[in-house]
Amino acid sequence: MRADTKADAAKTISVLKKTFKEYYFNRSKAVEQPLKIEQREFGYMQCGQAGMLRHLSFKSMKELDALLVREAPCDVYCSNGYYLFPAEQPMQAKQWHGADLIFDIDGKDLGMPCVPSHSYFICTQCDKACPPENDHQGSSYACSFCHSNKADYVSIPCSKCIEGSKRETRRLIDFLLVDIGLERSAITVYFSGNNGFHIHISDDAYVSLEPQARSDLVSYLSGTGLILETIGVRKTNTEDSFSIKFPKSGLAYGWRRRIADKLKIDMTSAIKLKNIVHQYGGYEGFKRELEKIVKDMGVRIDPQVTTDVHRVFRMPGTLNSKSGLSKTKCTDLSSFDPFLDACLLGDGLINIRTKTQVKLKLKKKSFNISADSSEIPAYAAVYLMCKGLAQAG
Amino acid sequence: MAGSDLAKYPFLNEAGEYLRESGFGWDELDLPDMQYIVDRAAERIEIEADGKLYDKLERYEVEILTFLVSLIIVKSVGIDQVLRKFALAEARRAEKFLTEDLRKQGESKRGSVFAKIFEDLFKLKISISEDRRLFRVRVVDYLTRASHFHEQEWKLINRIVHNGYVYLDADETVRLVRNELSIFIYDKVKAMTLPSLPQSIKSKANQIQLKMLLRYERRTSTAAREYPPCIKHALEVMGRGDNLPHSARVMLATYMLAIGKTVDEIVMMFEKAPDFNEKITKYQVEHLAGMKGSHTKYSVPSCDKIRNENLCFATAECEMLINPIQFGRNKK
Repeated sequence: MRADTKADAAKTISVLKKTFKEYYFNRSKAVEQPLKIEQREFGYMQCGQAGMLRHLSFKSMKELDALLVREAPCDVYCSNGYYLFPAEQPMQAKQWHGADLIFDIDGKDLGMPCVPSHSYFICTQCDKACPPENDHQGSSYACSFCHSNKADYVSIPCSKCIEGSKRETRRLIDFLLVDIGLERSAITVYFSGNNGFHIHISDDAYVSLEPQARSDLVSYLSGTGLILETIGVRKTNTEDSFSIKFPKSGLAYGWRRRIADKLKIDMTSAIKLKNIVHQYGGYEGFKRELEKIVKDMGVRIDPQVTTDVHRVFRMPGTLNSKSGLSKTKCTDLSSFDPFLDACLLGDGLINIRTKTQVKLKLKKKSFNISADSSEIPAYAAVYLMCKGLAQAG
Repeated sequence: MAGSDLAKYPFLNEAGEYLRESGFGWDELDLPDMQYIVDRAAERIEIEADGKLYDKLERYEVEILTFLVSLIIVKSVGIDQVLRKFALAEARRAEKFLTEDLRKQGESKRGSVFAKIFEDLFKLKISISEDRRLFRVRVVDYLTRASHFHEQEWKLINRIVHNGYVYLDADETVRLVRNELSIFIYDKVKAMTLPSLPQSIKSKANQIQLKMLLRYERRTSTAAREYPPCIKHALEVMGRGDNLPHSARVMLATYMLAIGKTVDEIVMMFEKAPDFNEKITKYQVEHLAGMKGSHTKYSVPSCDKIRNENLCFATAECEMLINPIQFGRNKK
């Protein structure tokens, strides 16, 4: 969030705070109670203030709800970890005894080609914004007003971005069900509140898993660290030469099956596989190619989120200060529309001044706002202010 | 459980019960008949402290006593490195027997005995695959154990994973618990309290102690180091004035701290970063060094973590490393 002057910033913060407060007052039931609330650490951020207030603990949702209405935080977090003393500091004193397994799929990590067409540069020097241009690259940017080359890059995700994240989420769910063997009922999908999905796993067996083991699981899901020997290409002593010897245990399951399907090979295709390896210039060349193939077939999850067992993670049902949308449970991922189902703020009118011409669609209503003063529904006004593309008018 | 099993697995509770039932007493260890057992135990420790396998196997009465006397001698030698080597070698010895027995499992109905050993001792449930050629363990049980192994072949992605299970052959199934067995034996010795020892054991323990003390006095020093490729790459990116991701900055700073660079030296390495701010960088490096904030000193991220974050540029020299800090340590 940025503003030309302190007064503008203060006004924008005040409007955001008021709208967030109304949300927490009217929709306290929307905030989901975490399992074993008394063992969790909580944290929150305040509008316009840097740094997170964390190491908090609550005995009940009632206490937390009271805080949400009182403070109207812009972001609310709850630990994935369980602690004996969640409010203690430093971390060791909390006495960790497990953490939920979580996954984060962020639309911005998917390299969607449509992103430049709905992203804006906001100059960090003069705070002016410029509309989307397909040929802009971060490094070649220069502000057309003050010529500074430093800018924030803000995106208003489009339906293609959301579809990309959904596709990635489905792929993750497929891995978790077919390979890892989780029950479908143990997997809950949430829209992150901005541009991605959070996948929460409720399976007690995974709670005590250490970061190293979670990291190994991440490698599996994201397709990192596969060695050629796994599919039967064995390096011989002479440089770059190899032999084919399929593993006795076969190619029928897991990554072996995925690669076998991709390369169209089976346990009888030793010669075919040998030719494929030669086609890529031998062992090392094929290794590089396979790394690419496997990475493409893997799921793009944020490794930090899954391996960090002390993370405070956005709470379901709370608002995301990057958009004003809510982190919302997706009971049916295919039909879930974040710009409708997670857009829960009211539609009372708020006056804003946008920094450039902006297009967006929320609650099935399209907005095309010129760089001027306008009165639009709270949910759209908050969205633009959270994106840094508008100030309270 | 058969006597032959107790000979191979003398650490099982049943072996202890056998000793109790036979009315064995400490004093008996000074009897001339027992010298054979004491000598055998000493031989077992010396071979195992050399990192080799003790592969003799006699009838269970001899093996159970030899194992017990070995534990007593290792305890009274009191050198941790010897105990660790002994525990690991004993685990490998048991691993060898377990593998052989598991391989025979398809042929006999003794499978339940071994499933029981795995479950009682290691809380690991193993079952036989549908085609009876492989064993299977739950993914979560596999991850808990194998994530501590350094070889790439043990990474989950290189295993057969299906429907919640990881499929393993007999050798791999047993390898999965080697560390736990070693820890089990180590802890067993650590927890022992020794009564006054018979002379025969005391003198053997003294001889071994003297020999081992000489061996472990020497400490190897670490050679001057060359940067690992991940660090080199991060430094190159920095040098070009390009933006380096946060995780790469943490890797670079923790590595430099670990090799003894000062906070100021490290701060200057970030000088060319497009968003360089000396004050903030200094605070962050001090934070990683445990001088600020939570006072937790951050360690260098593991190779696994670096790989997951796409910061790894491994060369052949990186093979078998688990942390960049080990790079070049064995270079002459």
